[in-house]
Amino acid sequence: MTIRLKKNPVDIIFSSITAIASVSVLLLILGILYVLILESYPSIEKFGFLRFITSTDWNPVKGSFGAATNLFGTAITTVLSILIAVPVAIGIAIFVTEIAPNFLKGPIGAAIELLAAIPSIIYGMWGLFTLAPIMANYIEPALQKSIGSLPLVGVLFEGTPMGIDLLTASVILSIMIIPFTASISRDAFNLTPAVIKESAYALGATKREVVKDIVIPYSKVGVFGGVVLSLGRALGETMAVAFVLGNNHQITKSLFDAAATITVTLANEFTEADTDIYLSSLFYLALLLFVMSFIILALAKFFILKTEKGIKQ
Amino acid sequence: MTTAQVRKLKNGIALTVCTIAAFLGLFWLIFILWDVLVHGIGGLHLSLFMNDPAPPGIEGGGLRNAFVGHLIITFFATLIGVPIGILGGTFLAEYARGRKIARVISVLSDIMVSVPSIVIGTFIYAVIVKPVGHFSGWAGAVALAIIMIPVVLRTTEDMLSLVPWTLREAAFALGAPYYKVIIHVVYRAAAAGILTGILLSIARVVGETAPLLFTSFNNSFFSANMNEPVSSLTVSIFQYAMGPYSTWHSQAWAASLMITLFILVLAVLGRLLLAWRYGKRPTI
Repeated sequence: MTIRLKKNPVDIIFSSITAIASVSVLLLILGILYVLILESYPSIEKFGFLRFITSTDWNPVKGSFGAATNLFGTAITTVLSILIAVPVAIGIAIFVTEIAPNFLKGPIGAAIELLAAIPSIIYGMWGLFTLAPIMANYIEPALQKSIGSLPLVGVLFEGTPMGIDLLTASVILSIMIIPFTASISRDAFNLTPAVIKESAYALGATKREVVKDIVIPYSKVGVFGGVVLSLGRALGETMAVAFVLGNNHQITKSLFDAAATITVTLANEFTEADTDIYLSSLFYLALLLFVMSFIILALAKFFILKTEKGIKQ
Repeated sequence: MTTAQVRKLKNGIALTVCTIAAFLGLFWLIFILWDVLVHGIGGLHLSLFMNDPAPPGIEGGGLRNAFVGHLIITFFATLIGVPIGILGGTFLAEYARGRKIARVISVLSDIMVSVPSIVIGTFIYAVIVKPVGHFSGWAGAVALAIIMIPVVLRTTEDMLSLVPWTLREAAFALGAPYYKVIIHVVYRAAAAGILTGILLSIARVVGETAPLLFTSFNNSFFSANMNEPVSSLTVSIFQYAMGPYSTWHSQAWAASLMITLFILVLAVLGRLLLAWRYGKRPTI
């Protein structure tokens, strides 16, 4: 369907303008990468790559910086939130596609997607004022009493439950990413050809068997893409965790300790950086975050496209 | 138990678990919205919209500066982001339709939609705030515009692709050049869809905090000057909620309620528009 029309001069101008506008996305990505590398160069030169990501030192007074504590906080909150969110999200997707009566499918799906429209600062504030006290007074003491006394895993639940910690931040993040995962999983489930499902039902299969043996094998790559996409979102989430994580540059053993993620460090310290190497190290953190999330999001896109293509063929 | 009974039992358990998961999701939605509503209504007074912030302890302070500042920043962000997004989407769906470059930019935009917004804040800090020497409303507006561009671009591309090719051929047959076909035929046919894209992109940036923290910063005084730091609702919420005063907290809740309502109205409006015009859901 490519167009080969006799070019009108206005057409040449209009098409060039639109071309520039669309290439701006590409230029922005390259521009962000270039500027972040340029700004973090002093820090890259001073601390190198391996030393920067493995050093737990974050000392603005001495001018010595390492990203390990931030990477640790980011990794723990992201992984924990995915572990909590994914089972719930897949349950929601199965409910909306296979179980709910038709008149409920639309409204419940839309309501859960509205969760995704609520801005992250609202989640953060709600977490600080509502969820953190609930966690500190009820859930965390209960966890301490039950799992906390077990050997090995018990160490994860040590310390005074304050509610401002890794666990609360992960729970808020998980609530935030449930809608993304659920809505992509639903789209993937919906791509399963109806004929095959109907054949299985005709053989007498139960709904569980249809989902387990037909729908999930058909859509697993797409669902996986949705999980990876949520991972990318959780990685870069700032405001939802900034309220409830504290800003503690330490690698801690317990989930009841305050910590710092890359995003929280940036939000809290960027405007306070008083030396060049401090600011440069913060740019270095932003660069690491940008590269990590770009790679993860690209992977997610790859998996999602693969399912769509696979089913079309 | 017979095999049939075991299968039925397993089926029942699995379905119950999924139903509980769905209601758990709904439970969070209602819990959060209810909490924002209850706390927010308590802080809603006329003074919130009419007065500028007062020092803690003095009655009658408001967030007029933040409401106005937020509107101005969002307005200019829309003014910058939307035209670029629509033109870019036009290129992908029309002039570059089916070409490799269109695929590549489309995928890159999808990735850009999810790139951490705080990274965009640091980028704008480096290219605008640092050279100029101070925080400014313009820096905030440009940061938000950068977040809007890929959203508008992708919805425009999708919506223009939905316009039947035969409609364009009919216009070509009348001798119209392509740009006229796009402006007079394609844009008109896709108007509702493009409008949805704009609504959803505004809903997307209106709640953004992270990219404003080091661009438009904050300002305790009323300022509509885009060359100076401009106060925004979201940054004020962050500052007030983290602060120690209970009057600050109730103002932060009230501001959160206003933002949430605004975004939900936009999101629902966008959805209704799409459902009415195309019978489908938005992709972003």
